Amino acid sequence: MTIILEIFLYLAAGTFYWWWTQNLAFFGLAPNFIFAAALSAAILAGPVKAVAWGFFLGLYADMLGVSMFGGYALTYSLMAYAVYIVKRHFDMDSLFSQLVAALSLSWLCMLFYQGLSLAFFKINPTGIRIFLAEPFLNALAVPVVFQVFHQLKRRTGIL
Amino acid sequence: MSREKDAANYAIAFFAVLSVLLLLFPSSKIAHTARIAASYSLYPSLHYGARYGYFVRNVPTNFLAIFETDQENRALKNKVKELEVKILNASALVSENERLAREMRLSRALPWAGSWARIINKTPADWYGSFFIDKGSEDGIGVNDTVLGMQDERAGLAGRVFEVYPKFSKVLLITNSAASAVCAIAPAGLEALVEGKGTWLLKVNYVPEESALAEGAEITTAPGGLLFPAGVPVGRVAKVYPRESFMNFITADVNPAVNVNTLKEVFVVRRNLPQEVPAAAGAGWSEAAQYNGQAAANGR
Repeated sequence: MTIILEIFLYLAAGTFYWWWTQNLAFFGLAPNFIFAAALSAAILAGPVKAVAWGFFLGLYADMLGVSMFGGYALTYSLMAYAVYIVKRHFDMDSLFSQLVAALSLSWLCMLFYQGLSLAFFKINPTGIRIFLAEPFLNALAVPVVFQVFHQLKRRTGIL
Repeated sequence: MSREKDAANYAIAFFAVLSVLLLLFPSSKIAHTARIAASYSLYPSLHYGARYGYFVRNVPTNFLAIFETDQENRALKNKVKELEVKILNASALVSENERLAREMRLSRALPWAGSWARIINKTPADWYGSFFIDKGSEDGIGVNDTVLGMQDERAGLAGRVFEVYPKFSKVLLITNSAASAVCAIAPAGLEALVEGKGTWLLKVNYVPEESALAEGAEITTAPGGLLFPAGVPVGRVAKVYPRESFMNFITADVNPAVNVNTLKEVFVVRRNLPQEVPAAAGAGWSEAAQYNGQAAANGR
C-alpha cells in the first residue's frame, strides 16, 4: 500500500511542479518543487529510499527538459546521498537547517548540473537570474514540502 | 549503521552509474528506452494535470463568478421587489386613470359646472356621515355646494359641502342621519323627503298613503329643493313599509345611487348659494326643516 502511495506522491510532486511553472511562474521564476521533494525525501527517508527518490525525481525533471537525460537524476541522487551523510551530524528536521540546506544545496545542484552540461554538451543551461533567485525560492518551498512529506510519513508510513 | 551505510553506498553507486550511463550514451538503445519509458510513464500525470489543472486554475475565477453572481442575485432580488411594488402602484394608477377618465367623460356630460376633488380622509366612526376632500375655498369650493359621486357610469348624489377650509372641505353625506333632501319619485314626480339613516340605506318619508310607491322606483332631487340642483339621481326604492296606524303617510328604504364606500373622487357642483339660504331653510344643514315647513303649509 505504501508503495502505491509513494508512487502517487512522486507523480503528484512532479505534476504539481509542472502545474506551478505553467500557471504561477512569476517573471519566469518558480520554486523547484522537485528539488524540494527530493530534499525532503532525503531528510525523512532512509538512505536507499532517499537516493531512489532523488534518482526518480531527477528523472522526472529530466523528462520535463529536452537535453541531458539523466543529469538531474545524477544530481539529485548525489544530493540525497549528501543529505544522508550530513543528517547524521546535523538536525535536518529543524527549520533553520532546512533553509540553509535548501539554499546551499540548490546552488550546489545548479553548479553541478551546469558542470555536467558543460562537460557533456558544452552548453550552460542555467541563466543567471535563475541561478541567483531560485535557491531562495527553494529555501521557502523546502520547509513546506518537508512538512507535507513529514505528515504523510507520520500518517501513512511512506518514505 | 555500517550496514545502512553500505546500503546507501550501493544505492548511490547504482543510481549514479545508471545516471552516468544515461548521460554518456544519450543516443544508445538503453538510454533511449529509458527515456521513452520515463516519458510514457510520467506524461500521463502531465496530461491529466493539464486536464484538471484547467478546473483548478479556474477555481478563483469561478469562486469570484459565484460571489459576483450572488451579489448580483441579491441586487436583482431587491430590484424585483422594487419593481413588484412599482407594478402594484402602476396597476393602481392604471385603474385610477381608467376611473378618472370615465369620470371625466361623465363630468363633461353633466349639465352643471364644477370640479373634481379627491377624498382624502374618512373617519371610521362616521363612515356614512362625512368625509374630507382635497379642495377648499382656494379652489372655489363653497359651503352647500352639491357633491356628486360616479357609479355605474352615472352621477348620483353623495352629499353637500358642509365646512370649507382654504385647502380642504368637509362633505356631509346624504347617508348621514342628519342629512336630507327634497326628492321627486318617478314616474309621477311625487315629492318626498329622503333622509339619511346613518347606514348604507336612505329613508324616504312623507309619501302620501294613496300614492303608488313601487320598489325600484327612481328617486331624483326635486326642483323644489333649495340645496341641490334638480334631477340628480338619489337612489332607488328598495322596500316600501305599510302605513302606520297613527300616521297618514308611508315610508320606504332607498338604495343610494352612489355607494359612499367605493368613492375615491367626487364632483363638486358649484352652487354659489347665498349663505343665508340654508339658514332661512331652518336647519342650516338639511332640507328637512324647509320641507317640514312646506308640508305644514300644505296641511299634511
